[in-house]
Amino acid sequence: MEIVVEAHNLRKNYEDFALEDICLQVRRGSITGIFGPNGAGKSTLVKVLARQAPAHGGTVRLFGMAGAEHDRVVKNRLGYVPQEPAFFTDKTVRWTARFAAPYFDRWDGAGFAELLEQFRVNPLKRVKHLSGGEKKLLALALALSHGADLLILDEPTAGLDVLHRRALLDRLRRFVADGGRTVVVASHITDGLDDIAEDVLFLHRGRILLSEDKEDLLARWKWIQFKDGALDPAIEDSLSLLRAQPYGNRGLIGDFTAVRHALEPVLAAGEARVDNASLEDILLSLVTEA
Amino acid sequence: MDPILRRCSFFYLSHLVTFSGLLGPHLVTGDWPAFDIIPLFMPVWLASSVLFSELGESYPFLRNLPVTDRAIVHRKLGLVLATGAVYWLLILGVALARSGDGSTTVPTLAFITLVCAYGTVVAACCQIGIWQFGRPVMTGVIATYMVLNLAAALVHTANLRHQADWPVLAQLAPVRWLAGISWLGQALVISLALSALYGLARVGTRVKTSSEACL
Repeated sequence: MEIVVEAHNLRKNYEDFALEDICLQVRRGSITGIFGPNGAGKSTLVKVLARQAPAHGGTVRLFGMAGAEHDRVVKNRLGYVPQEPAFFTDKTVRWTARFAAPYFDRWDGAGFAELLEQFRVNPLKRVKHLSGGEKKLLALALALSHGADLLILDEPTAGLDVLHRRALLDRLRRFVADGGRTVVVASHITDGLDDIAEDVLFLHRGRILLSEDKEDLLARWKWIQFKDGALDPAIEDSLSLLRAQPYGNRGLIGDFTAVRHALEPVLAAGEARVDNASLEDILLSLVTEA
Repeated sequence: MDPILRRCSFFYLSHLVTFSGLLGPHLVTGDWPAFDIIPLFMPVWLASSVLFSELGESYPFLRNLPVTDRAIVHRKLGLVLATGAVYWLLILGVALARSGDGSTTVPTLAFITLVCAYGTVVAACCQIGIWQFGRPVMTGVIATYMVLNLAAALVHTANLRHQADWPVLAQLAPVRWLAGISWLGQALVISLALSALYGLARVGTRVKTSSEACL
């Protein structure tokens, strides 16, 4: 398994916020979602991973390379879309592409023009006259037009309408389809990116709460709906987001596989029911308990 | 041509043209005090080129491109050096051409070299200051520097014309000493300026890499 992004004891300090002891690995060919509430540090983490901002401690390796001396090689293979893309605002979209093109070894001008057409971004428009969504699409078109092997995207669907959001998700799926390219995306859970993510990383207050394969995570976390007194008190105590509802109680369990056997008689008797949890449920539970 | 250089050169070149258009004729046709006054405007023009070229700069966009901070520093400081050299060559060229009519002397040439070296090094410092503290902070600092330089040049001009005992800068002792050791003095000043710029390029790379003031 080839590791494309690797962070070790990563630290980044601001006056009122700090990313601390971030360790992560992103394998080649995967889509990794970095999720968390507002202010969790998603954008900061993504900026440091994409070498947009220096770390204050620890190391970041992209394609096995750390250090500013590899920036040229690394950034030729990296497409980065920030939360708020920056350009030369007085210049046109076409000028922006002409400015950027000479720096890339594998710039695909025709591909860029095609993407602009698909995204309906007018190449003759000045950047300052583009909407927030159009700027995002321009950044995405630039990131996809130089043969990048790794895309790092920060809230890529923010400001996009439904059509463009779907087009983006499709494109990301196709991007990794051959198994050779990788996507890391920081986002809120509710925008559809959680569906395409294969690996999930939850961030809260600058720390990683959880980092896991999405399927494993969803297999472990389940909602249990049960009648009063039906559950073993030890199991009931381990439930989070516990809530009494008209038809019984409902709580989220973080290690369903460990209690499956103990639950079987209760489930067979119809006194409890197991439902799938969503990533949003899991994140909510972890953040509430953190 | 490199896009970063191409974009910035526009500002440096347009300022150079303005300098040549506004002040050049005074050097060509004026009497000797012109060579004691006009070079003093060079640091102002060069600092203003730095400031203007940074006005629309988008470092977050540049950071997204496969160009290292070191390369950006070398391009920007290289441009400062190249433009400083062009100012120097232009003023020196006219001064040499007019040495025949007695308007300029060897100390004048040394004075021109000194001022151009000073202007170039300070402009490079301004550029690094922008990377370290950000453009909004440095705009005030550079503007103050420009105003002070401009004021000094104007006061010098006025006094040179109206006060008989006002010192001629090209005749000050250090300048005369430099001129006294012939072309070695010029070479010494140039070497010092180049060494300073080399050091500033190293400092600039460190600052550019670690500072987030422009991001």
